[in-house]
Amino acid sequence: MTSGHGWRRYLRFVRPDPAADVDDEIAFHIKMRVERNIALGMSPEDASRDAIERFGDHAPVREELVHHDQRQQVRAERAEYVSDFMRDIKLGARSLRRAPGFTIAAALTLALGIGANSAIFSVVNAVVLQPLPYAQPDRLVAVGQGSMGEYLGLRDRLRTIVDLAAWVPQAHPVDDGRDALRLNGVAVTTNLMPMLGAAPLVGHGFTAHDGTPGNNDVVLISYGLWRRQFASAPDVVGRKISIEGLPCTIIGVMPPSFHYPSDDVEYWQPYAINPANLGLMWGVGGKRFIGRLAPDATIDRARREVHSVWPSLRRTNPLWDPGADYRVNATAAPLKADLVGGSASLLWLLFGSTLLVLLIACVNVANLLLARATSRERELAVRAALGGGRGRLVRQLVTEGLVLAVIGATAGIAIGWAIVRGLVANMPAGIPRGNEISMNGPVLAFTLGVAVVTGILFSLAPALRATSAGRSTSAGVGLGRRSTIGRSHARVSGVLVAAEVALAVLLVVASVLLVRSFVALGAIAPGFETTQIVAARISAPAGKYGAYSSRTPRLLAFYEDVLRRAQAIPGVRSAALVDQLPLAAPVNGVAVRVQGQFEDAKHTLPFIQHMQTVSPGYFAAMGIPLLRGRAFDDNDGADQPPVAIVSRSVARQFWPNGDAVGKRLGYPFDSPWLTVVGVVPDTKQDSLRDTSNVSIYMPWSQRSLLVGSELWLVTRTVGDPAAAGAAIRRLVAEIDRSVPVSDVRTMDAVVADSMSGSRFTMLLVGAFALLALTLGAVGIYGVMSYLVSERTREMGIRIALGASAAGVVGLVVGRAARLAVAGTIVGIAAALVATRFLRDWLYGVSPTDPVTFSVVPLLFLGVAVLASYAPARRATRADPAAALRAD
Amino acid sequence: MPTRREPGDLLQGTLGILILKSLLLGPAHGYAISRWIEETTSDVLRIEEGSLYPALRRLQDRGLVQSEWGLSENNRRARFYTITTAGRKHLRNEAEVWLRYSQAVTRVLRVEPAIA
Repeated sequence: MTSGHGWRRYLRFVRPDPAADVDDEIAFHIKMRVERNIALGMSPEDASRDAIERFGDHAPVREELVHHDQRQQVRAERAEYVSDFMRDIKLGARSLRRAPGFTIAAALTLALGIGANSAIFSVVNAVVLQPLPYAQPDRLVAVGQGSMGEYLGLRDRLRTIVDLAAWVPQAHPVDDGRDALRLNGVAVTTNLMPMLGAAPLVGHGFTAHDGTPGNNDVVLISYGLWRRQFASAPDVVGRKISIEGLPCTIIGVMPPSFHYPSDDVEYWQPYAINPANLGLMWGVGGKRFIGRLAPDATIDRARREVHSVWPSLRRTNPLWDPGADYRVNATAAPLKADLVGGSASLLWLLFGSTLLVLLIACVNVANLLLARATSRERELAVRAALGGGRGRLVRQLVTEGLVLAVIGATAGIAIGWAIVRGLVANMPAGIPRGNEISMNGPVLAFTLGVAVVTGILFSLAPALRATSAGRSTSAGVGLGRRSTIGRSHARVSGVLVAAEVALAVLLVVASVLLVRSFVALGAIAPGFETTQIVAARISAPAGKYGAYSSRTPRLLAFYEDVLRRAQAIPGVRSAALVDQLPLAAPVNGVAVRVQGQFEDAKHTLPFIQHMQTVSPGYFAAMGIPLLRGRAFDDNDGADQPPVAIVSRSVARQFWPNGDAVGKRLGYPFDSPWLTVVGVVPDTKQDSLRDTSNVSIYMPWSQRSLLVGSELWLVTRTVGDPAAAGAAIRRLVAEIDRSVPVSDVRTMDAVVADSMSGSRFTMLLVGAFALLALTLGAVGIYGVMSYLVSERTREMGIRIALGASAAGVVGLVVGRAARLAVAGTIVGIAAALVATRFLRDWLYGVSPTDPVTFSVVPLLFLGVAVLASYAPARRATRADPAAALRAD
Repeated sequence: MPTRREPGDLLQGTLGILILKSLLLGPAHGYAISRWIEETTSDVLRIEEGSLYPALRRLQDRGLVQSEWGLSENNRRARFYTITTAGRKHLRNEAEVWLRYSQAVTRVLRVEPAIA
């Protein structure tokens, strides 16, 4: 007991112990009373008995006191902590106010780092992290794509998926009586919206009846369309609009948050399933399937079941046996993963870049703090001497850092907000959920968290250094110790700067690789001319002009009229029509029979990735030269023998030894052979990175049922492309104002747009790299300036001893160069490992591109020399006499 | 927890007044306070000495006294209590009330006819 008591007594020096104190207080009282009693003449036994009796009930009093004092102590500690913290904040704010230059530099550095970070985080958060805005979104799965026949087969067979829906994107001319527009829409099976838990804001959803042939003339419109085209009219339900020239009744408006499957969808129509139409059921793929997992199913079980069920559907295909080459698009992926897809890795790449920038910013601020700690040496030493204790002092310096971080974060939020606005406005197509991006609560919470973490990160090391053992004794230290202290500070700063250079090297390497890829991409010749060629999409409503059936006279007449008038536009040298414009969107292909090689449609047929239906002048208008044979001409009419033109790779593939001209191939079903009449060079079709060089062209006048009613007009003009574009819009409106003209652009713009994703990545990473480089240069400059100012005396002595100015400059610049080299070596080593993650974004340049990896170190060496030159010049002006006097 | 009554006829709150009054002489530990009460009242108001301490805590909570550890006259560690400015003011008010009250009761008791 006594030893335990003694121990507790000792502990009290660390922290008060209320129970022991209460015991002491009571014991003291009793002891005093006993002593008095003895002095009054009582026997020791009587004296104690009396003392205890007088005191009364000992146990409950003790219990009450201990309880009270413990509560009191907790309260006091808490209050002390809070008041310390508040005092630290006040102290920190005051000391920051006293050094406005430092504060502005540090806060701005942090603001840039934090702003970039929270901006990109807000995108990552919206696109990747937030759950999809649907009912039980984690139970939704994307189940590949295929034909409606396959959809029905899967729907009936899959057990792990309780509900399966299908949708297919469609972009059609929509006429609301005021404007004729080409809008993006979707045809959906009627169970899709209930599956997603989505219901119209106004009106009602689809019924099963709407999904049957002849009854699908109803439409749900988006909130945006409702606002723009109908001024949010409450009585919009029941109005009729024309879609593809067919009247449809608006039955509802979807809520503003509903955008499935993509942000640009403006209307939803029910897909009418007609099992009797075998061609439509089995011949046309491209339907996307999504389902909801059964309550007891997992995504893995669903994937296994889809993989085993899908191939068996091949036997149910009544049209033809696609053979072993049957394209099974069997997947089962969480809907979010499917939706976000490849953009997730892009966003993480950008987020990683901003994290590096933030780290660099932290290092810079840590360096600033370190330099500042020297000038505050006395203040800190005095505070330590006054009994703050090291822990208390560190806490105070870290709190000061937090104040700085919060200032930086506040400015960072403003910067981030501006970046987010810029990002959303310039987001390349293909990043989903763009409409959900905002600087919302979670982003602000993240920013605050980042501020706290960075605050601790950049202030802890300088705080520990500034308060380290040797430091606290330096209160009275004179100039004698200055230079050594400066030197050890400089060493830490040097390590920090080298780290900063390493991080910046990593980012700059990444951005140089992306720039080189972009340049390589831009240097690719697409195989056709792009300047002075204007393209415009003209969407004749199928309901009015006919489609899906060959040689509708009205449609033919319409486009022939368009073509004739386009050729008459002043300045236009040639005009042509094509169904799928290259580089605007993926150009679909076709499986072909080849006479004498692959004749049996029941077996696997070779696939030509790109097929285009063109008017005779297409090759001339696009500047695609003929290698062999002839182009299409006006004699290739509907009643003439069917003909085709192939690209060089197709000719080489099927007829390696001979002339392809005169050979025959055909559609993948029983139909007359097409005779090859010409060979053209391979061209880029899907994108500039497209490596599948095979294309086949058919004359538009002999077009098959595979062609819709929408065509692109391409015109080669010698005049102003904008004037040609305006003329195209005018001439179409003159023929029929219900035909929308959209995407009027020069081919140069089409090519540029096809590179927008690469440009976006390159510009963002480039901006972050530039920021990193600047911060790195500032870091080097700061440390060198500090070093020179600390060593003025040494420089002076050197000059006094006869060192030349060049020698002194060399000394300082050499030190900076050594730091840069050390940092660069680490950065290059890290980059060699890290750039492999860039592979998907690189084109024509290897992740370990020797040019990049040799130019970047030189760049940093140059930056180091430049950043240290001014401090070095300052060093040469050190006055030897003054330096010696100061001693 | 049963509320502990002040022993004897001591009214609730009276103990507090006695403590505050004792502290007017200067800082004192609990034992000294109890000795002072004992001597000034000639042991008429006998208090259970243990109840002094919860009363001191209550005064402390109300900001009427402060305490700190120090050394007693015979060099022992003891907790010393000091009256605060608020404590002095409180004592003044309470004393006034108490005196007026006791004078009134005294007057009533002295009115004819005499009690005994």
